[in-house]
Amino acid sequence: MDVLSHLANGFAVALTAQNLMWALVGVTLGTAVGVLPGVGPAVTVALLLPITAKVDASGALILFAGIYYGAMYGGSTTSILLNTPGESATIVTAMEGNQMAKRGRAGPALATSAIGSFIAGTLATVGLTFLSPLVVELGLKFGPPEYFALMIVAFTTVSSVLGESTLRGLVSLFAGLAIGLVGIDNQTGQARFAFGTPQLLDGIEVVTVAVGLFAVGETLYFASKLNQVEETLEKVSGSIWMKAEDWKRSWKAWIRGTLIGFPFGTIPAGGAEIPTFLSYAIERKLSKKPEEFGQGAIEGVAGPEAANNASSTGSMVPLLTLGLPTSATAAIMLSAFQQYGLQPGPLLFESNAALVWGLIASFYVGNVMLLVLNLPLVGLWVKLLEIPRPQLYAGILVFATMGVYGMRQSAFDVFLLYAIGVAGFLMRRYGFPAAPVIVGMILGPLAEEQLRRSLAISQGDPMVFLTHPISAGLLALTVVILVAPWAWRRIASRRRA
Amino acid sequence: MSRSLPKGQALLGAGVLVLGALVFGGSFTLPSEGGYAQVGPAVVPRFVGIGLLILGAMLLREALTGGFRGVDEEAERHLPTDWRAFAWVSGGILLYGVLVEPAGFLIASTLLFVMVSRGFLSRRWLLNAALGLAVAAFIFTVFNYGLGLQLPPGILRGVLP
Repeated sequence: MDVLSHLANGFAVALTAQNLMWALVGVTLGTAVGVLPGVGPAVTVALLLPITAKVDASGALILFAGIYYGAMYGGSTTSILLNTPGESATIVTAMEGNQMAKRGRAGPALATSAIGSFIAGTLATVGLTFLSPLVVELGLKFGPPEYFALMIVAFTTVSSVLGESTLRGLVSLFAGLAIGLVGIDNQTGQARFAFGTPQLLDGIEVVTVAVGLFAVGETLYFASKLNQVEETLEKVSGSIWMKAEDWKRSWKAWIRGTLIGFPFGTIPAGGAEIPTFLSYAIERKLSKKPEEFGQGAIEGVAGPEAANNASSTGSMVPLLTLGLPTSATAAIMLSAFQQYGLQPGPLLFESNAALVWGLIASFYVGNVMLLVLNLPLVGLWVKLLEIPRPQLYAGILVFATMGVYGMRQSAFDVFLLYAIGVAGFLMRRYGFPAAPVIVGMILGPLAEEQLRRSLAISQGDPMVFLTHPISAGLLALTVVILVAPWAWRRIASRRRA
Repeated sequence: MSRSLPKGQALLGAGVLVLGALVFGGSFTLPSEGGYAQVGPAVVPRFVGIGLLILGAMLLREALTGGFRGVDEEAERHLPTDWRAFAWVSGGILLYGVLVEPAGFLIASTLLFVMVSRGFLSRRWLLNAALGLAVAAFIFTVFNYGLGLQLPPGILRGVLP
């Protein structure tokens, strides 16, 4: 069957009343948590993981995906209206968007980001539709050594490309790998690092870690800092519609943002930050009115917003076709697949075609829903921003502790949650990225499995990773990613000396 | 420009070293032969332990030679951590862990709500208690009566329907 007939079957799945409802719930929740400071898509998906026990796989995954890309839409509303940046991928939007809002142009700023997100999300879904089968073809040729090498590449890019320091990114990654080790080794049944504690035998739940780092850690951080910062919420006054000139200046930026964002999402480089910064830089360079940048240039909102949406959809390509998550939320979605005993990868496209294509089709549907939710209904979300901070964070923590305690009915998990929260606070305080921890703890055990399989095939000879050309190439790439920035600095400083 | 040593950073580096030593040392208590798979359950932990030891040493070195690269301790001094707020939030969560089973979900959640709000400088105790109880009661109703899950009623067992 060709792509289009697969996609048609996918729509048949996505357009059932039940799945339409899951998509609507997902994108609505996603927009809400994107708008709200202090809670993001990773925490939300983690807290909802237990529903995998009650809901069928396609419904749950459509819901989770909706939360993931819905949050991208919602995040921009906060960045534009509030002077404190929300999610890291919307920092750039905040620069121009908040300036536009301060000048009474909040409406067009919200409109260009919602329409730009829609165009980018839809184009990126087209990309996802046609690129995935090609990557699947490639993935089918991969054996354990290639997968192991690919995972090593993902580890390095997620920890070194994100954030400002490769060293701190790697520390986060290794902390995540260490967390992933806890519990019973699923190949030999050996208990590892459980310290005789029965609660640790099953391993540390991703829910506890994600909620600890992202909800508890953030709340501790903001409680100890935010009370001293003045927040100002801009009003949406006047028409939200864009003028002809706004359209003219936006549409090229949307397209360029998409073209930058999508490839960045698909390669395991992780994160939507870099494409947004790139898009911003390019728009600034190409603009006919560069002097407006920094004071509310609409291109500076349109481009980066398109880029972050395209990249979040793009990151579904490696997740679905190769089982490689490149962001915290994608990693948690991977563990949702595992709850159903499914392993994303090329084989999933054959064994569960209806599920995969239904999920892809739901992206088209979800983006249309999001356009409606975020343009005519934007006033509703602005109301969310008016919730006073003390009660907002208190409510978030009540939900967070309930989710972690309720999962296993164990008070032990609450104390573990607090410990991870303190770690998250320290990481935030000292500039350690959180996403590599989640990717490390979920992808780590899978990488170990591939490592063992590879060595079983080669009868213990570690050279297997170098004699297979693809895995050798990927490992060489890893070395380049790790060493190049360092070597570059060395050469540059020697020249200066 | 030799200001005081960034103590927190050095401690953090040392902490990573300790974690590395724990993982590395712990790997020796695991069987290393893996039978058919050739790689036993000790091999990957050993690599992770070595990695953490190296990274911890590098962190410590950065901390002792001018501080973590790209971390602005100057900005930190302008916006010092409010440890009292930190303590209110911490106390709320820890108390929740202690109380959720004996006192019950409703009481533990309400206290958590009040204490976190206080951490964010809200002193409207009664309003916050009422809001917290409302949120908790909503969750409790949905879970215990709607989804058939059991959140602990605690001392309110028998009082609640």
